[in-house]
Amino acid sequence: MSDFSKMPGYVSTKEEHGETTVVVDRAHVRDACAYARDELGFNVLMDVVATDYLGWAGKGVSGYIGTASGRDLNAPMTQGLQALPDVKPARFSVSYHLLALRQGAPRLRLQTWLEDGDPVDSVVPVWPAADWFEREQFDLMGIRFHGHPNLARLLMDDDWEGHPLRKDYPIGGEPVRFSPAE
Amino acid sequence: MSDPTRLRDYGLQSERLLWPTKGPSRFEEELGVEELEQALGITTLEKAVRWAQTKSMWPDTFGLACCAIEMMSIVGSRYDLARFGMEAFRSSPRQADLLIVSGRVAHKMAAPLRQIYDQMLEPKWVIAMGACASSGGMFNNYAILQGVDRIVPVDIYIPFCPPRPEALMEGIIRLHEAHLAGIPPAYERKQVAT
Amino acid sequence: MSTTLRHVGRTRRWPVVGDAIYDGSRIPARVPTVLDVPPHLRDTDDVLTVNFGPNHPSTHGVLRLIVDLDGEEVVGLSAVVGYLHTGFEKNMEQKTWWKAITYPERIDYVGYQNNELVFVLAIEKLLDIEVPEKATWTRMLLCELNRIHSHLVFLGTSALELGAISMFWYCFRERENILDLFELVAGQRMHTRYFQAGGLAEDIPIGFFPEARKFVENMPSSLDDYLTLLDRNKIWLERTQGVGLLSSDDAIALGQTGPVLRASGVDWDLRRDQPYLAYEQVDFRVPVYTGGDVYDRYRVRMDEMAESVKIARQCVDRLERMEGEPWIADDRKVVLPPREELHTSMESLIHHFKIVTEGYRVPAGEVYVAIESPRGESGCYVVSDGGPRPWRVHFRAPSFAALQATATCSQNTLIADLIAIVGSLDAVMGDTDR
Repeated sequence: MSDFSKMPGYVSTKEEHGETTVVVDRAHVRDACAYARDELGFNVLMDVVATDYLGWAGKGVSGYIGTASGRDLNAPMTQGLQALPDVKPARFSVSYHLLALRQGAPRLRLQTWLEDGDPVDSVVPVWPAADWFEREQFDLMGIRFHGHPNLARLLMDDDWEGHPLRKDYPIGGEPVRFSPAE
Repeated sequence: MSDPTRLRDYGLQSERLLWPTKGPSRFEEELGVEELEQALGITTLEKAVRWAQTKSMWPDTFGLACCAIEMMSIVGSRYDLARFGMEAFRSSPRQADLLIVSGRVAHKMAAPLRQIYDQMLEPKWVIAMGACASSGGMFNNYAILQGVDRIVPVDIYIPFCPPRPEALMEGIIRLHEAHLAGIPPAYERKQVAT
Repeated sequence: MSTTLRHVGRTRRWPVVGDAIYDGSRIPARVPTVLDVPPHLRDTDDVLTVNFGPNHPSTHGVLRLIVDLDGEEVVGLSAVVGYLHTGFEKNMEQKTWWKAITYPERIDYVGYQNNELVFVLAIEKLLDIEVPEKATWTRMLLCELNRIHSHLVFLGTSALELGAISMFWYCFRERENILDLFELVAGQRMHTRYFQAGGLAEDIPIGFFPEARKFVENMPSSLDDYLTLLDRNKIWLERTQGVGLLSSDDAIALGQTGPVLRASGVDWDLRRDQPYLAYEQVDFRVPVYTGGDVYDRYRVRMDEMAESVKIARQCVDRLERMEGEPWIADDRKVVLPPREELHTSMESLIHHFKIVTEGYRVPAGEVYVAIESPRGESGCYVVSDGGPRPWRVHFRAPSFAALQATATCSQNTLIADLIAIVGSLDAVMGDTDR
């Protein structure tokens, strides 16, 4: 297990379900990625994912169950009270999934947290593969990547307004009519 | 003998001549026309044209998503589309008669779809293949056009996700039958622009 | 296990800022995915901009390429995607975990069971649930059959585009046999929805194994037929060899995986290097070629088909001995109870009710699961908040990454080669646009 604490901008490490998540500071993302690529040997960028945590663990939102003091129905035979899902540091998280092409296929998730409107440094100079991944997250989530050579909408129409995958963007579509009378 | 429209004007003997008091036959009554020979001539020509159109209705290569894979499999040898004369998938819509919209239509794709439809020449038919083309399918969201009949007039809707090749063939055969029976294409029935 | 030398683990050190691309790279320097028209040709009348619009004769779905041509040579290229963007990820957030499993299949609609598998594996990883052996081996069998199916579709359509029209009908004839097997076991040809969180939805029906055995016995000879059709065909060789070159460093930098990476000389296959399901218990070879051109990608996929038949045969051998074993896990909080129990047991009735109406709850957490789909590494990133519906689902689409390499592969090529290159990258637009 490598020592991640020397990574530029290092904040914390988490190990869960056999996966390692390293949280880094938003300002040092590009340096952290370069460190991961050069020093730690994670030479392939698999994915860049942004997640919107607006409304996380809020009352009435998917996942909230029970009373304000929390209930966890996953623990069997429990009517008891356990912690609500933990509070997140900021609204958006951007995760970089990395892979090292060597024995054992070690994987790493570099994660950084940011609020709406905060820019993140683009990692296209580190891995050219990040080009479309970052464009997609800009298009669907509205994360601005500073220094991206071509930050434009990719999947939606060029003149689309809004960022569809955000939690405050409606699902769209139309109500289903179940009879001709409606 | 002003204009020679009757058979007897040409010197032919029909049973009407031999039996002058014979009334109109059941067939004539159904057709409701006086000049039986003229009526037979027009109807037969239209029917012949329709028959020729159904036997060579060339589709346009408009495969979008999963249904396109099933559409490709009817061109394959098990569900042979060539026996209907339709294996020639035209790439240019100007040479195509049939637009099989196979797959989900995103809003971004709606404009090219309408453009392709506009480029086709009359008579033209549209088959909405699959649930996504018929009604938006399982994707009731911001990105998918909820049914392709919002932008093009559709003749046949084929359900399932994706339709089996036999289902697509049934849709195509029903389209052929409808056309043979004289039902006009959808743009005429629905009075929309082509 | 590989045919050629290993390139694994070699990292290039190149500067982080300033000069973005390293020495010897063919990745376009300004934007990695866009070929720019060279300065001496700009503002001249020589360059013709052609739109390979979303609807085009090649059978790759709705990819739009804006190509600048100098005569027949491609001097500028940029790809526009998104014509099939379906909003899968947002749609899946609205459905319960069970209902959401129907969605991933439609993403990569040629290798559909692999997408289903990756999502179900992610749910099971979060749930920490034990999947019975029979389910694991059946999943492996179906995924390998799906790999053969996907490569057959690739072969048929790519050959069709390059002019070898008969291959289309041969490949689709074999494909019908595979779809018959899927219909036998799952009830539907495509989009089978056979995998469930915890195992399989139903037991394997009687009569499947004789048919499966017939298939695995007959397939190798059919594959040999195809090889003789195209392998030493002079026209095929001239059209595919030396075309669409992608070096191993560029492939790694562009995030390529799967046959594209293996054809560029990098010996990497997730089935062997990060085994999931039961791949460490089967014997197979990973084909690697070093040419990095269209011909080598074709060879990799042809060899992979043969290896998949081998794996399928081993799965069938193993599964025939597992008659009568459970096909789904026993955890009643997640898995529906057997129908007979509903008549006798009150708890089963309540479990059934809860699972069907509210849906089972998956513990909070985030996971990333990756498998080797026919197109490369297909990954699923799932964030759960402990509720009955996913909070965030994201699919790492191998076709998305593969299309990024189009500009790099298409330097100094003719327009006819561009068709071959896009075909060889084997991008499925549903996978790209999600």
